[in-house]
Amino acid sequence: MTILAQRHDGPDATTAPGPRRRLLGLVTALLVLSALLVLSVMIGSTEISPSVVWDALFHPSADIDQFAIRDYRLPRTLVGLAVGVALGLSGALIQAITRNPLADPGVLGVHAGASFAVTVAVGVLGITDIQGYMWFAFAGALVVTLMVLALGSTRQGQSPVVMVLAGVCVGAVLGGAREAIQLTDPEAFDAMRSWNAGSIVGRPLDLLWPILPLLAVALVLALVVSGPLNAMALGDDLATAQGVHPARTRILAVVALTLLAGGATAIAGPVAFVGLMVPHVARWLVGPHQRWIFVYSILLAPSLLLASDIIGRIVMRPGEIPVGIVTAFIGAPVLIVLVRRNKASGL
Amino acid sequence: MSNPRRRRGTALTAALLGAALVLTACGGDTEPTTDTAAAAKTRTVTAGNGAVEIPAAPQRVVALGNTTQPFIDIGGKPVGVTELSASELDPIPAEQKATYEAATKLGADTAEVDLEKLAGLKPDLILVQVPDDEFEGIKKQLEAVAPTLFWGLDTEWKAFADALAQAGNLTDALSQQKTQFQDKIAKIKQTYPAIIADTKFVAVDRWDNSDPGTFVISDFGCIEIAQGDIGLNAPKAAAGADPLGWTNLPFEQIAGLSKYDAILYPVDAAGQPKKAFAPVVESNTWKTLSTVTSGHALGVFCPGNNSYGPVLQYLDSLDRALAALPAKK
Repeated sequence: MTILAQRHDGPDATTAPGPRRRLLGLVTALLVLSALLVLSVMIGSTEISPSVVWDALFHPSADIDQFAIRDYRLPRTLVGLAVGVALGLSGALIQAITRNPLADPGVLGVHAGASFAVTVAVGVLGITDIQGYMWFAFAGALVVTLMVLALGSTRQGQSPVVMVLAGVCVGAVLGGAREAIQLTDPEAFDAMRSWNAGSIVGRPLDLLWPILPLLAVALVLALVVSGPLNAMALGDDLATAQGVHPARTRILAVVALTLLAGGATAIAGPVAFVGLMVPHVARWLVGPHQRWIFVYSILLAPSLLLASDIIGRIVMRPGEIPVGIVTAFIGAPVLIVLVRRNKASGL
Repeated sequence: MSNPRRRRGTALTAALLGAALVLTACGGDTEPTTDTAAAAKTRTVTAGNGAVEIPAAPQRVVALGNTTQPFIDIGGKPVGVTELSASELDPIPAEQKATYEAATKLGADTAEVDLEKLAGLKPDLILVQVPDDEFEGIKKQLEAVAPTLFWGLDTEWKAFADALAQAGNLTDALSQQKTQFQDKIAKIKQTYPAIIADTKFVAVDRWDNSDPGTFVISDFGCIEIAQGDIGLNAPKAAAGADPLGWTNLPFEQIAGLSKYDAILYPVDAAGQPKKAFAPVVESNTWKTLSTVTSGHALGVFCPGNNSYGPVLQYLDSLDRALAALPAKK
């Protein structure tokens, strides 16, 4: 899936839409996200009337259907929102720093690190509830990304290509180790099956609150580096000439994307394709300017995640399909289209 | 994570086969038998792996996989067993627990069984119930050590108990259990005919590996006995369809349980909700269910459904639950 292609054609202002079109798109994306937030609370595996939904939110009582809204659908929607924002922005960041149009957080070993740590927590330490192993996931993502960052260092500073290669290698090694544990301990595999598929079912807000400040810090970091990353799209030499410090920018960006992808993965498991697809769509809509790509990714990724989750709730009633499986179904054809539209989506 | 026991077992397979052949040859030399004598000492029984000649009264039985607990339950005293989990071991009677403790532990499960240790026990019969493909992997090694009887996981529990009792020469002990079972079923049917006929039950559960925020409507395990032998009216999958218990239902569907008159949910021996099921009981939706608030949610203890002992414990628990139901109507 990874294409190690560096393109040195930087942002082309002539092909980018004007400010009015960007703003119009922004408002549209905001409306779409708002609509999906509402639909996510309205639609579930059981039918609950809109008036009950309204009362659950604004006139709370001990009505059983109101609990279904407040205890399950609302937390699930908020978790989906946070996870979507984190995945979209982390995908945009990694594509920017690696200048690889097909990169996603998995390329830096984030998913592999999180999965390996969860496997150890479940298989070796016997922790089987998500409240227990989500911090292992987060720590695993963090440690592996720092390792990849260190391996990606060259005498000239951080090399995007070496970083990606290091990420793929570390990911492969950890993936093998994870498989080995899971094969010798099928119960461990069973316990983390849902997490592995990528799901936001049964994630109470208690899981989200401790992660939220980390996501907020990462969001600020991402916005801080968006300008320098824009300059670095022209190449490190030109960026340095403009007063940008490429190595520092990459490190800050990697810290931000690790917090974002690590936080999202800790809660929902490895959700595929969101971090890959959304920055492409954003780039296609707004052109190559990173700040706009980041803002659009922040709005479009949770839309994709929530839409996929809603689909997963209704296509196999009374059961559900984990959101990670739905995004994978949507992602595969979209990826093919993106690869074929290289001109539009390339960096 | 590597598994030393499995590795050792695999490495010793060849040696084990060789040793078994040598022992067989020695036996042939030192114990000349006539056809008549052999017929008196052995009998042929049929199991999932075909007709097998076994000792008429086996003395050194090894029970592997799902045979461990049922074999002990009918009075068997195996010399070697695969380990029982804490949840399986906790509810069994002290005498059976002592039998289990006295047996040599051969591994956490059949896939990890220590074949060297097994051969060292010099068993005269090996009983094994595991998935078919798992048995295929160890069939030759086991048969090289002793006559081996295999049953697949789809074996009906009463037929399984009969087969184990026949194999272990323990049919008398089993007869007593069967009588107790039939008496218990008859008593429940006679005591609660109206409840059995008019109540819409639903059995719910949550597995150790269930996805977070999900539960299942259970239609296999102990509830099958309640449905099949007692006639309890509870949902089950249509013929040929996947069991209902395979589908994880999100917690918001707990509200839908209100359409049933009574809910059967899993509890441990102390009457507390089973650990995996506790999140359901702790949810607001559960606490608000009219069935729950009116006392029509009945905790039932199911220690197992693969032999008469645990099933009798289940029936006792169900009996107590049903006794509480009419008083709360």
